Parts: sequence; structure tokens; C-alpha cells
Amino acid sequence: MDPSYQQDPIFAKTVAVVCEVLKVKPETVTPQSRIKEDLGADSLDTVSLLMTLEDEFKEPISDDTAKTFVTFGDVVAYISSRKTATVTGV
Amino acid sequence: MKRRVVITGIGVVAPNGATAAEFWKNCLALKSSVEPIPGHWFNYWRPLSRLWAPLPSIDFEARGIGRVERMQLDNSAILAILAAGEALESARLPFILSDEKKKLFSVAGFSGDRTAVFMGTGIGGIASFAANEGNHILSPCSVRLRQLDVPIDNLADVMRAPNRFNPFIVSMTMPNSCSAMLGIRFSITGPNQTVCTACASGTMAIGQAFEAIAAGTADAALAGGAEYLADDYGGVFRGFDTAKTLVKNCDDPETANCPFDRKRSGFLFAEGGSAVLVLEELSRALGRGAPVIAEVLSSAETFDAHSVMSIDPSAKQIRRMIARALDEANVTPGEIDYINTHGTATEQNDEIEARTIEAVFGTRPLINATKSLTGHTIGAAGAIETAITALSIARKTTHACKNLEEPVRPLNFVTTAGAFDIKTAFTQSFAFGGHNAGLVLREFTA
Repeated sequence: MDPSYQQDPIFAKTVAVVCEVLKVKPETVTPQSRIKEDLGADSLDTVSLLMTLEDEFKEPISDDTAKTFVTFGDVVAYISSRKTATVTGV
Repeated sequence: MKRRVVITGIGVVAPNGATAAEFWKNCLALKSSVEPIPGHWFNYWRPLSRLWAPLPSIDFEARGIGRVERMQLDNSAILAILAAGEALESARLPFILSDEKKKLFSVAGFSGDRTAVFMGTGIGGIASFAANEGNHILSPCSVRLRQLDVPIDNLADVMRAPNRFNPFIVSMTMPNSCSAMLGIRFSITGPNQTVCTACASGTMAIGQAFEAIAAGTADAALAGGAEYLADDYGGVFRGFDTAKTLVKNCDDPETANCPFDRKRSGFLFAEGGSAVLVLEELSRALGRGAPVIAEVLSSAETFDAHSVMSIDPSAKQIRRMIARALDEANVTPGEIDYINTHGTATEQNDEIEARTIEAVFGTRPLINATKSLTGHTIGAAGAIETAITALSIARKTTHACKNLEEPVRPLNFVTTAGAFDIKTAFTQSFAFGGHNAGLVLREFTA
């Protein structure tokens, strides 16, 4: 992910959601942060995180998609792609 | 010998007040919450009743309930948490965050094995259940209609459903979620029970908490009731509407709800509510300098064994419940200064209740119907009414029965809010199923 990611509004909003759900500090969240191992999400936290992301971005995330998320960067990349798809009508 | 039990804290969320203070102030001012039912409910049927009592706007974030919790808890549990938090604060039992992620708190001198939770609810979780069933049933329909190239935009308002099947639905719809969430949130590890006896649930839960403390099973308790009834389709409302229990004369929202009046036409359906009391064994409460609001002298329960949907006209078991409550409290009918009635405004309840009160207590005690201000909150009602009974004793004043112009019986109904020397009071609830419950409360004297 490009180092300018921190200026990306989707990145910033996703960090805020992660902090809201997992109660971690924003500075600990990087694209490489592993959701379970580094951010401390257990299975219930992961479900909470998905629901809150859906609520924040008004974008459904299927369970199959969610299974592919390993790092925080994976989540941001998916949401960014969906938002781009929405804007471009893809 | 039973131990003495006192009420040291009260929290309330009702249609006419988001806190106990607001509820009390609005009750004295005869302010109620009555509005037309949500317009989209008319998509599903033609209701006989057209009014309800919605809850006030609540700033959940400001009161410590974040977005994540609101997505994972039924509103009945959320209302219970709000009421319990207020009850603890009013009992001067501050709670300290012990786990930010899990939203756990510890309450010094309260959390732990010697404290109990007894919460009543009639159908706690029903609104979440309905919402999730909406997703479960309607989502595949939407997909198939789209595949058939059927325009569903004009059906969207009928086929409304949450976007996601909620992964927390099991814990949201369990009726024991209210009591469980209070135990979890405030780290209370003693007996934790849910009383599910329809409209008597709140009264019975407080009664069982009283019994547990009096018997020494616990030293303190959070006890009360919670309910949330507004599913998105109006299905719960329809159930009561179809049973013809709801208010039918709906032309004037301000006067439609009139318990004990000859013009009454059914009860006002409330969106929801909760009241939670802090009960403590007396010496423990005095030892920590707790503010004592009132003493609980007794509780009693009986069962009609008559009909699951209607009150026994003979009121035989109601009279036995009252006799037991008075006997346990060592109080004569003549000593009861104030009765907070079940007072739903249904034809049958008010007739039988008024007749029974007159037969047992005569026409001396003050008679009140808090549902004239709140509407009917089902499993929360008895707890809300116990709360206002305790406050009426402590503050020597009480609210009036709203819209009571032609009383069904010549009882001493409170017609104007004001000062009253209320020392000993009785509050009672009856329920679908046939449950009867009552509590005797008294002004605290050492």
C-alpha cells in the first residue's frame, strides 16, 4: 500500500472503526497489522468489526469475503475497491 | 426472622421520561407520550387501535451505549442497562470501567457473589427476532424477484428488513439477555434470574429479589423489568390489537388513554421501557450511608388458573395475593395509604380491579394508575410502578390519574398531583397467563 495511505479518507475511517471496536490505539494500526494476531481480535470481535464496517460504509461484506481478510490493509483495499466500483458504476 | 430490605437506588426509562428525574417531573405535570402509530405499519393490516406511546429521544452515546453495543443488543437489554446505571448512580454506587473492550464495570461494595440480578420481561428480544426473521424470509424473496426482473421498488416499504442476518441474534432474542447483561456489565456474580410472567414480570422480579435478600441468599440486588415492543412491522402491536386489548377511541390522543374511566376503551401500547431498583439489606445500606428511598415489607404472588388471556372475574386469587402481601407485611388494609394499581384501561381489568380494591381496602387509600401516563410497558410496567410508588412515599407527593373524569367506582383516585402523607403503599400487577403479584412498601424508619 502506498505510504500516503494515511491521508486516504477510507483508511482513516477504517482505522477509526477498528479502534472503536477493538479498543486499540490508532498508532498501532498499520496496513500490515494482522487483525487477529496484532490487533487482538477474537472471533466475536471479528464479527463485530464486520458489522461496524458495514454500518460505517453502508457496504455489505459477505462472509466469504470476510474470510479473506488477514491484515488491516486487506480490509482497506476491499472497501476502497467497492467504493471505487460504486463511484464508477462497475 | 426475615432481614429488612430497602430500596436505595432507582433508574427509569419510560415513554414520558428518559431518566427517573424526567419521568417523575413529567408524571407530576401529567405529561405523557402519545402519538399515531408508525405509518408504514398500515402496509400490513388495518389496525383497530391507532395510537401508541413512543419512547423519548435518547442520546445513547452520551449515556455510555456505543454503536457496537446497539448493533448487538436488543433494545430491551439496552433500556435495562440505562436504567440500572442510573439506579446505581442514585444509590451512590459509582461504577468504574474495568475492561474497555468488553464494557465491563466494577461497582465497589456491590459487584460480586453476594449481589443478585432479578429482571422481568414479557417478550424481551421480540423486536430483534422480528427484524432478523424479516431478513431471513425477505432477503431470498428480494433476490428471486430481481431474477424475475420484477420491479421491487414499490414493494420495498413492505419488504423492509435489515441488510444483514445478525450474527448476535441468539443472544439478542433470549429473554434472559436483560438480566445477563446487567450481571456482565456490572460484574455481579450472585443469583441471576429472569422472571417471565407477562405484565406482572417487573413486580414479580422485584418481589423475588426482596425474598432473596430477606432470606439471606443475597445481600443486594438489581431488580426490575425491561421491555421493547416496537418491531418494524407492527406485528407485536397487531397481536394485542387483534386481541382487542388496545385503546380504540383514538380521535383525541391527549385523552384516549383513561384508566378507570367509564369511557376507557383499552390500553395504550408503549414502545418500551425499563425500571431498575437497587435493593439492599438494611444494615448494609445504613453501613455505607446509602440514601434509603423506601422499605420493602413484603411480596406475594398467586395464580388464577382460569384463562391465559383474561382475568378471573371473581378475583379470588387477586384477593388471596393481597391478603398474603398484607399478612407478610403485618399490615392491615386500613394502614395502606396508597395503591398503585395495575390500571390498564381495559374494560375488564379496571372493573374487576376497582371492585376488588373497594372490597378489600374500602375507599380510603389513594388510588393511582401510572399507566395513564406511560401507557403499558408490559414486563417493565410493574417495575416502573414500583419505582414511582417508592418515590411517592419518599417525596410525600404523587401524580394524578390522567384523563379520569367518570370513575368506574367511587374510589379515592388521585385527581391532582400534590402533597399526600403516604407512609405505607401497595403496588400490584396482573398478567396474561393468570399471574398476580404485589408488593407492600413503607416509609423507612430506623
